[in-house]
Amino acid sequence: MSVMMKIVLPMILILGLAALIFFSFPKNEDSTTNLIGTEHPSTKQLDSTRRGALVDQIVFTQQGDIGQVVSLIESGSHHIFSQGITSTTVFQRLRDSKSADYDFSYGSSVELTLNPAGPHFANGELNPFHVPALREALNQLINRRYIAEEIYGGLAVPRFLPLSTAFPDYAHLADVARALELRYQHDPNAAKKIINREMLALGARLEQGRWRYHDRPVRLRLLIRTEDARKHIGEYIGTLLENLGFEISYLYRTAAEASRIWLAGDPGTGAWHMYTGGWIASRIERDLADNFSYYYTPKGRADPLWQAYRPSAEFDEIADRLQRRDYRTWPERRALMSRALELAMEDSVRVWLVDQINAWPRAHNARLAVDLAGGVSASALWPYTLRFDDQIGGTMVIGSPGLLTEPWNPIAGSNWIFDLKIIRALQDPPLLADPFTGLYWPQQIQSADVKVQYGVPLIISHDWLTIHRAETINVPGNAWIDWNSDDKRFITVAEKHPEGLEARGRIRIRYKDDYWQRRWHDGSTLSLADLLLPWILSFERADPNSPLYDIAHVPNFESFQRHFRGWRIVSKQPLIIDIYSDQIHPDAEVTVADKSPSVLPWHSLALGILAEQNERLTFSSHKADRLQVDWLSLVSGPSLPILQQLLESAGREGFIPFASLLKHYLSSGEAEERYQALTDWYAERGHFWVGNGPFYLHSVHPLEGSIVLRRNEDFPDPADKWLRFVQPEIPELVMDGPILVKAGQTATFELQITFQGKPYPLDAIDEVMFLLFDGDGKLSFKGKAEPFENGIWRVILAARQINRLGSGANSLELAVKSNRVALPSFASHGFATLPADESIPEGIEP
Amino acid sequence: MNPSQNPSIPKNAEGLVRDLKLMLLFTGKRIIALALMVLIGVYLTILIANMGGRVDELRLVQIRSEISEAVRGDLSFRELNSDERNRLIQRRVDLEVQRLNLDRPFLLRSFNYLYRAMLLDLGRAEQMHSDQGSREVHAIILERLPATLLLFGTANLLIFFLSVYIALWLSRHYGSLIDRIVIVLAPTSAAPAWFYGIFLILFFAFLLPILPAGGMVEAPPPLGRRDYALSVLKHMALPVLAMLLSQIFISIYSWRTFFLIHSSEDYVEMARAKGLPSRMIERRYILRPTLAPVITSFMLMLISMWSGAIILERTFSWPGLGTLIFQAIGHHDTPVIIGSVVIFAYLLAFSILVLDIVYGIVDPRVRIGAKR
Repeated sequence: MSVMMKIVLPMILILGLAALIFFSFPKNEDSTTNLIGTEHPSTKQLDSTRRGALVDQIVFTQQGDIGQVVSLIESGSHHIFSQGITSTTVFQRLRDSKSADYDFSYGSSVELTLNPAGPHFANGELNPFHVPALREALNQLINRRYIAEEIYGGLAVPRFLPLSTAFPDYAHLADVARALELRYQHDPNAAKKIINREMLALGARLEQGRWRYHDRPVRLRLLIRTEDARKHIGEYIGTLLENLGFEISYLYRTAAEASRIWLAGDPGTGAWHMYTGGWIASRIERDLADNFSYYYTPKGRADPLWQAYRPSAEFDEIADRLQRRDYRTWPERRALMSRALELAMEDSVRVWLVDQINAWPRAHNARLAVDLAGGVSASALWPYTLRFDDQIGGTMVIGSPGLLTEPWNPIAGSNWIFDLKIIRALQDPPLLADPFTGLYWPQQIQSADVKVQYGVPLIISHDWLTIHRAETINVPGNAWIDWNSDDKRFITVAEKHPEGLEARGRIRIRYKDDYWQRRWHDGSTLSLADLLLPWILSFERADPNSPLYDIAHVPNFESFQRHFRGWRIVSKQPLIIDIYSDQIHPDAEVTVADKSPSVLPWHSLALGILAEQNERLTFSSHKADRLQVDWLSLVSGPSLPILQQLLESAGREGFIPFASLLKHYLSSGEAEERYQALTDWYAERGHFWVGNGPFYLHSVHPLEGSIVLRRNEDFPDPADKWLRFVQPEIPELVMDGPILVKAGQTATFELQITFQGKPYPLDAIDEVMFLLFDGDGKLSFKGKAEPFENGIWRVILAARQINRLGSGANSLELAVKSNRVALPSFASHGFATLPADESIPEGIEP
Repeated sequence: MNPSQNPSIPKNAEGLVRDLKLMLLFTGKRIIALALMVLIGVYLTILIANMGGRVDELRLVQIRSEISEAVRGDLSFRELNSDERNRLIQRRVDLEVQRLNLDRPFLLRSFNYLYRAMLLDLGRAEQMHSDQGSREVHAIILERLPATLLLFGTANLLIFFLSVYIALWLSRHYGSLIDRIVIVLAPTSAAPAWFYGIFLILFFAFLLPILPAGGMVEAPPPLGRRDYALSVLKHMALPVLAMLLSQIFISIYSWRTFFLIHSSEDYVEMARAKGLPSRMIERRYILRPTLAPVITSFMLMLISMWSGAIILERTFSWPGLGTLIFQAIGHHDTPVIIGSVVIFAYLLAFSILVLDIVYGIVDPRVRIGAKR
């Protein structure tokens, strides 16, 4: 018995210890109560004097298991996850949860990549997909609605075209797209007919329901990705083709294994016929004109598969013109895009299947602006809009699949999406991307003016900038265009191009009047040196004679230099900058965002410069490997003691990088003040990351996998500045109208456009297009609906338009394009037309 | 005849010298054998980690693909035409290939890996970093080592001592109710620890919830040492419990069987017949002769802690070596994979050597075997 007691006693002790640990800590529920206090006022009662962020602290934790997301939100330990959900099981759980909510994004898509080599592979086998008509027929064979609703459980929408259904170009071309979607809608019989015809033309024979070629069965190798729902898509498509008489080999592969076959392998060897591909866009792409060249022509990529593409001469030319932006007007672009869409469907080396919907989980009482393409991870406005519904302030806990994936430095540090998301909260860029349209809004700048040569396509959507056109744009001789690494000075246009220089465009950016009063997180005030040093570094790092030379930077720099035509500071107060370039994006807002220079704290960059000059740390990974030293991290690791040492010496000596130039842009005593501020900052925070965003980096815990940001109380902007972007106002449509119309009569259809039950303002709608299809599915007429009042639009069909339809079932399709979201909305209404002499049956209301 | 007068029996000093020579010979042979074993094991790892060079092909595709997408997704390059863009992609691909030495034949690189590995020069990782940001393989591994040792050390020591202690008691109470319960529960160890982990997380982290679902410490980490330690203990509770549930019953069962076999030896029966107290029988007649296998088992258990457990660590988001190796395999980061295997191989070889020497000292048959 005594021995038994000896066994039991330690066990009781262990249990007792465990119990002690349990009860010495507050339960997770309690910690939630601490985080979400009830005494705080609602955000509805937002104090107008509050500046900067709406929460006091953000804690990022590493959480990669998507299966735990909903439970963690329900337990109160996490509020937001920066990982989109595509699993239907997890989504259903998220949807059913009372504590959790979600936002949608639409950036990823799935398609069927076809191998067009042939008609015979090197092994003598027949490749039916060499024939464009046969590839095209697959569009009608596959039921995209089945894939979207059954395989993806509603987390996808059908897609037919090489344009994402969530991006502006799809909305611009909604009428063309809709017509093509109806032309290629699911019709397995039509598809079968075409496939049979083309197979016979190739010399194959259908024997007992199975295709044979040269007395051997026609076998198709279907390369299927196994990591996600594409596995089921592959099996579904394989079954469809098996039913048509093909023999299918199912090759299940992961991304890496599959890429060796479809991407790197020679398509002519016949290792595969079809591949279930996928693409991701991390932000709203405003201009998809180059998609045709990229996805359908050998110019798209250098990989062997692309070199096997043989687009028709017409398609090749149009795709090339579109990618070179060889058009002068928007109607011309629209015509080219419309024709390219038709030709892409006829070519069909890719059969687009669905646009996936990602659900981004969050607690019911937490909100933030979520990018329609890239979700939480890619949202530029998330730090400005993050808040609790029921309080101001508090701590928000955000789960992220990765943290501190690579070292952080602002020149060539980590570009992982999880790191960039956090860094975005620490910086305050000149412009911020609208999460719903992809256009940019000014944050640090007052206004901009874009001047382009005649013939350069450019549109403007916002009123914070203006555009002008000119016959020629001459770059002034005093503009800076290059850098002399020996003399440490900028080279002017007059020096480099004494004969003069022209540019396609000039972007003039005026920053806010109080720009130079703004402060870095360490308390130092912004100065012109913060603007100039990043420019200098860009040139210096591309110069082989510089100790900062980095070969990895050169390709990007050369691409930039090819189109860069100079820049100059027009005024220091207020700051006005002119940038001359041959690169002009079709959206003026995007062009300004692309060209606007940002500031970086010169004093923390100075430490990096010293470290790289002494070959102790380097800005880029490539150079770090070459020199066998550490990659510079301003936030953690072995870089910190080196930087601390350099800070001490820089402070002692008053080091100013590129002093011969920069000293003219520093105020007296600025260097000493800056180094002192950074010394104090490091002593308090333990890192060197100094930003100017709505949050500052409070602490970094790399081993424990957490990062803490705190609200920057000195941030000058009102806390509610960007709150209008919390929810995408996707128009909700209800269509009403007669279901029977007699020939010779007019018919009026009414479209209600609302958002959350409220009428959608007329000025927020760009246009409402309608398409009228007759009983054979042919486009009979298209036009624009007319505004009636807020939220109500009307389509009035004249008697002659009704007459043209003849008798039968017709369809009226409407496409609504809002200027508040990139995503177009669609509605349709079916109605029948009767001969004029036929009466409407009793009991049916017209 | 007095043994000291027998010429065939060496005097004490001669015996010591002879034993020393035999031990040196034995140790030398073992060191050579173990060095060969490590050499072969490490080279096989290099070959397997690179799939005989096929991984190069995968990585080339991956590099090109990633750079293509990165360039296409970068707003600064949106205005480049396709020729310019493809040229830019090709230059960046070339630089990356050069950085990773993929332009050198795999065979040459494999011998270079082997040479450096044998000298314990772990070098630099190709893709990965330590959480702190260092690319040195030793820094990456050492950073994760404490977490693994803490979790697996606690669990394994607990399992080892608890199971030996309980097994010893059960061997004396063969056929008792508790003995039968342990036998019945032994097959539950067929399920791995992570399997129990899932249920434990569900129950203790989400249903009750009184314990965290994963991680090593709460976020942000507590500032005080005591609070930090308590937070780590709290986070360890579930993974330790999962390992305990998964291994304890089979461990007790096998030790119990082992002790039962030894407790039925003639000399133990003789001791019982003499009426010696059961504690003395346990200590002198059962534990002492079984000490060598117990120590061996203990040593191997200690070494096994080095590798961690990939799925368990991922289930509990524990930042240990298992997760590191998983990430290294995912990244095809050969130096990190080789680094962790090399250290394991050296530790294993060293432990075996120590055990062999200990056996040689305590058991003359072992060193005589060396002479033969």
